[in-house]
Amino acid sequence: MKFPTYDISKYTVRQLVALPIALLIVSFLFLGFNTLTTGMPVDPGIDFAGGVAVTIPPTADSQAVVEGYFSGYPLKSVGEGVNGGYYVVFEYMPDDEFLKLSEVINEHYPDAKVDQIGETFGKTLQAQALWALLFSFIGMAIVVFIVFRNFVPSIAVVLSAFSDIVITAALMDVVGITLTLGTTAALLMLIGYSVDSDILLTTRVLKRKGKFSEKMQGAFRTGFTMTSTTISAVALMFIVSWIGQIDVIRDISAVLLLGLFVDLMNTWMLNAGILTGYAGGDKR
Amino acid sequence: MSDDTDSGLINTLKDWRVALMIILVVFSLVSIYVIPPGISNGMTGNLQLGLDLEGGSWIQLSFQSEVIRFETDEDPEVFAARIGDALDAEVFLFEEDRIEIRAPFTREELELVFEENGGSLVTYEKGVSKDTADQIKLILENKVNNLGTKDARINTITGLNGVTQYIRLELAGVDITTAQEIVGAQGKFEIRIQTIGNESEHVLYGDSIKSVSTPTQSPPGSDVWGVGFTLSESGADAFQNAANTYGATSNPDAHEIMMLLDDETVYSASLNPQLAAELKTTPVRELRATTGAGEEGLEDAKKLEIHLRAGALPVDVEIAGSGTVSATLGEHFKVMSVIAGILALMAVAFTVYYWYREPAIVIPMIGTTVVEVIILLGIAVYIQQLDLASIAGLIAVLGTGIDQLVVITDEVIFEGRVPSQNLYLKRFNRALGIIMVAACTTIIAMLPLAVMDLANLRGFAIITILGVLIGVIITRPAYGKIIMAILSKKPGDH
Repeated sequence: MKFPTYDISKYTVRQLVALPIALLIVSFLFLGFNTLTTGMPVDPGIDFAGGVAVTIPPTADSQAVVEGYFSGYPLKSVGEGVNGGYYVVFEYMPDDEFLKLSEVINEHYPDAKVDQIGETFGKTLQAQALWALLFSFIGMAIVVFIVFRNFVPSIAVVLSAFSDIVITAALMDVVGITLTLGTTAALLMLIGYSVDSDILLTTRVLKRKGKFSEKMQGAFRTGFTMTSTTISAVALMFIVSWIGQIDVIRDISAVLLLGLFVDLMNTWMLNAGILTGYAGGDKR
Repeated sequence: MSDDTDSGLINTLKDWRVALMIILVVFSLVSIYVIPPGISNGMTGNLQLGLDLEGGSWIQLSFQSEVIRFETDEDPEVFAARIGDALDAEVFLFEEDRIEIRAPFTREELELVFEENGGSLVTYEKGVSKDTADQIKLILENKVNNLGTKDARINTITGLNGVTQYIRLELAGVDITTAQEIVGAQGKFEIRIQTIGNESEHVLYGDSIKSVSTPTQSPPGSDVWGVGFTLSESGADAFQNAANTYGATSNPDAHEIMMLLDDETVYSASLNPQLAAELKTTPVRELRATTGAGEEGLEDAKKLEIHLRAGALPVDVEIAGSGTVSATLGEHFKVMSVIAGILALMAVAFTVYYWYREPAIVIPMIGTTVVEVIILLGIAVYIQQLDLASIAGLIAVLGTGIDQLVVITDEVIFEGRVPSQNLYLKRFNRALGIIMVAACTTIIAMLPLAVMDLANLRGFAIITILGVLIGVIITRPAYGKIIMAILSKKPGDH
């Protein structure tokens, strides 16, 4: 087996946690700056901001032609899919205008998928999504503290999960994935994935007997197998939904994919680093 | 040697989780394809498919009304009536201290009016009471049925405080324009008067009806039900005129008053003597149609109320959100979802094989995952429609499932060998401990989404939670037993 070897005892605690902590701080500042300037940490999609999203199945029309049809409406963005389809987003518009737009869409692209969310409804969804995120996170933290009944390891797990979400959210904004109901669900799902590998690491290192570095090495093998397998499944989900123009699944899988890579770093540098500092290396 | 293998296999099958797993797979396949026969629906069998896979439209409506909890020293009925007058809006007292105001007002506006009338506003929420929501649902269902739509779902979305904020219509195979028409369309309501024999004459149309009350008993407490309604001034004149011209005031029994909705008679009765006498001299605006006594009278009154409104909703609605997917695109999404699922599974198989290089591990692992998906779908037939979001949930849960199978495998197999029975059980339980904790956190993380009604994300959360539960309770422990049985008879180990 060509397993990547990762000998954690080669590094000091400071070396291990430096990169994840730095990224966490940068991401946190980035999201904070966004919130101050735009009111939202990540650019919101129509679910939260209100507006209309149209998925146009493969067509021979060029982007200019598509834009031409919709020029009289508050067009926000036009994205071209790999299969020759388009994903068109409009800002919020009143009902009458939307009815007219519906006719235009129906005339040119009768097979399109259209979703419209009103501004107030978007606000309601936004508030609920925020609560969901908060409750999930607190619930997760409580479970972790009950299980480990040990302050430092619990904090390490909770911090890694928090960092997963924050860094992933920042990356989302950088690569241009908007915050929608789907991507919020993906961020919540990351809590689950993140804690999976963290709990494995913590249990192996704290509850097993043996040499610290060997336990860490064993945990890493299992953890890396886990995460790489999940990454392969999610990556294919991303590719198929991207080609197939299934926007909901494409966005969910893109966020999960980013999050899983972020989680690799947070588990094996941040969390492992804190545990090394706590339980001591072999020498101590 | 062969005896040994056989008894090992039988013992494995006897383990309750392995047995339950097999039973559930059979149950799921039967649910999806056999009872009721679902093969004719193709690959998806009896699975309930969401709009984005089936094609159709959805509309989510919000209400232009508020639910207010208030305080007052007076009789609540008297107070509510005065508030209604002050606001010139229809109000509906549905609990001792809660009213529904059927017109849009801000909290500030209402606070002022409540204070002026000697009460105070305690809570303010946008939406309608449960009763009104049920009535709106009924009206919409009637309209949808008239259209002959084969597959419609109408759900009210009610908060924990009992206030319904939204109502969501999902209409399969209907485009968005038709869906909008269904919500907006109103019937033609007419009152006619019997002249001679079967002949009748027009009196007024629905536009002369200013307001309609909810069913009430008259006199109060008599259990005789009816619906009150108010005519406009011109409507009242027309009504008085017709009643006098055709002789309904002098001989009520021979000249019944009929109500028609879309040219179909929905109610017919003669004027009561007092009203007949009154109409001889003055126009009457406040009228009342009595439907009868008891439960049946109440049911009829409810229907009549809907008819009197001519299919108009008791509360003005706004479209909060809507969407449509064509049948062709739905079919495309369906095919793509299946491809995504199969490829994701193959990717998992490939990755796991790459790390373990051991078919005796890889095959049970993939088998367990397939079984998990089948059971999940089988249960979903009964509780959850599958849409794109829940399919994403399905694949995501497949990811955590594999994670946990890896944890079990690595925990029990140490350096490629299966340990002795005792040590095995100890490690197996330790692995179960890890996956239980991980499962708990995933469930907790998804719980808010399952409880809150965030549109279709509920499906994602429910599928994820269900998948995790099936996994930790049944399939993953069963996998542990199976892999133990398989690996312990590997020749290299003897």
